[in-house]
Amino acid sequence: MNENPPKKDPSANLLKWFRSPFVRALVALGFVLMIGFIFNAEGSFLKWQTHRDMLRHISVFGILACGMTLVIITAGIDLSVGSILGMTAVIFSIFSIHFDWSPWLAIPLCLGAGAVCGLVSGGLIARFRIQPFIATLAMMVFARGMAKWISGGQKISTAVLQSGGQYRYKEVPAIFDGLNAKVLHNNIAVVTLIFFACILVCWLILAKLRWGRHIYAIGGNEEAARLSGIPVTATKLIAYGLSGFFCAVAGICQAAQEFQGDPEAGQTYELTAIAIVVIGGTNLMGGRGGIGLTFIGAMTIGYLEKILSINAVGEASRLMLTGAIIIGAVLFQKVRK
Amino acid sequence: MKKIFILTGLLMSLFWFAGCVSPKSDTPTEETASAHSTSRWTIGMSQCNLGEPWRVQMNLDIKNAADKHPELRVIFKDAQNDSLKQRAQIEEFINTDVDLLIVSPKEAAPLTSPIAEAYDKGIPVIVLDRRVLGDRYTCFIGANNKTIGRAAGDWIRRRLQNQGRVVELKGLMTSTPGQDRHTGFRGAIENSRIDIIFEADMKWLEPNSRREMESALARFNTIDLVYAHNDPGAHGAYLAARAANREQDILFVGIDALPHEGQVYVRQGLLAASFEYPTGGRDAITTALDILGGKDVEREITLRSRVFTKDNIDQGGEWVN
Repeated sequence: MNENPPKKDPSANLLKWFRSPFVRALVALGFVLMIGFIFNAEGSFLKWQTHRDMLRHISVFGILACGMTLVIITAGIDLSVGSILGMTAVIFSIFSIHFDWSPWLAIPLCLGAGAVCGLVSGGLIARFRIQPFIATLAMMVFARGMAKWISGGQKISTAVLQSGGQYRYKEVPAIFDGLNAKVLHNNIAVVTLIFFACILVCWLILAKLRWGRHIYAIGGNEEAARLSGIPVTATKLIAYGLSGFFCAVAGICQAAQEFQGDPEAGQTYELTAIAIVVIGGTNLMGGRGGIGLTFIGAMTIGYLEKILSINAVGEASRLMLTGAIIIGAVLFQKVRK
Repeated sequence: MKKIFILTGLLMSLFWFAGCVSPKSDTPTEETASAHSTSRWTIGMSQCNLGEPWRVQMNLDIKNAADKHPELRVIFKDAQNDSLKQRAQIEEFINTDVDLLIVSPKEAAPLTSPIAEAYDKGIPVIVLDRRVLGDRYTCFIGANNKTIGRAAGDWIRRRLQNQGRVVELKGLMTSTPGQDRHTGFRGAIENSRIDIIFEADMKWLEPNSRREMESALARFNTIDLVYAHNDPGAHGAYLAARAANREQDILFVGIDALPHEGQVYVRQGLLAASFEYPTGGRDAITTALDILGGKDVEREITLRSRVFTKDNIDQGGEWVN
């Protein structure tokens, strides 16, 4: 992205290295980890299971942040991610639990539903020039409404209400157990592997595909990108479509982990997803950033929550500390020496 | 023109996906009426927030009870957790001259005056679950969270034979139900050898509960029981323990006992007990019929609660107060 300046001396190189967003994000993560080592809750922080559980918990947020990163690099925003997560969690549960559909059918349909929601937002933004904030705000409300409408406001669980008011109890579908499981000798959750896969897909898109470079170009200067022949509308459409797709991935993971489809699931998750992207160092103005940064951002937020949790910090202090540490981490990334 | 076609196409495909799944039309939501052509009385029901499954159940209980009485017609409105919206909806009910009003208010202060206005105009008002200020309403129906918390504490004390290591997963501690379920429980286990080794706010949400329980499991090798302020919280804790292969060593206790939630978990053996927090929906319709029929009703009706365990769930639970 940046041109390499002519080499001067090793210390200048070191300074440049330190100024790179990646290193800064790593230092912020290191800072949070250091807090964890100091306040280790009688050694709990040093156990592998704490880290494994943190990775499991942050995975759904991380998957949302993957799509959010693509959108934010185009200088957009996607407020609908939490609602689409809730909607797809409900749809997936209905397909899998109530209809007994095979995952081979249920998963593609849910992914399609998520992608369609994203494409609608993208269409409104790219074609009709509606501001991303407004278009995705509308989708956020719409998708939440749809989740409630489809589910009748109730969680879709293995207790299925019959017409006579009685409940019929169904088995938990194997796909739910499969996605909720841990693999590699119980050392990593399946949802974490899905999160890693999403990171890999985004990395391939952003670093290896021409379309990835188009995203950066649009975020940097949309008009210049248009003049240089980049298909701006299509690129934006796909970016939002992918964001919707990742929301559906997260929704499926959420449903599997809760063993039910909750129409209220994912509320305020959009804020966490945005926080993950921004803490990583991706610029909200677009054009700069990357998926590696988002990965570090996810780790930073995940560890922060985990450290406060294992130390059983009270809710009020937890909110204040989270706010303060997020500001600290972002400020640190902005410091120019 | 082309743009409009594209947009219509996208929206239609979205609705197609929605069409794949069947919405449950039997759940009363905003503005749906449990209507009968021969109905004599119209009841307005103002629900503060249908975002909570417990409140959806409350509406469902009201609808099911009202359906058995052809003389009743119930109009439901959902204030979507907004006090001012609920105020406006109560005013709408007053203007349409409903025969009786059932209100489950979001907050006391902003809703006291519209409820009093209806009462002053001669519309009987049943206040359900949360209180309003003053005495200008016909009847209050609600359960007592502190009593339920105490009942849970007593049950836990007996079950653990007066000693054990307990994790408390609290609801939102800035909310009255959270505070009451906490103080009731703590009052009951006072002077026992039950230690609360870990406590955290899970804000009534299952994913939060699972995260907090993972932390508790990482910190403590022995946990005897988890007391969660609601059933989703207890279920989240169970899932965390199961993931750590420790669910057999721990008992899980929750509150609410909704038929499709807590009662199912107890039946499946995931929770050792769930304490009912009754919605009062059925009682509201019984009371409404009494009021409309000209009978005197008690000004304050405290709902009784049941505990559901694996042993008694088939018999419909056991009363605790």
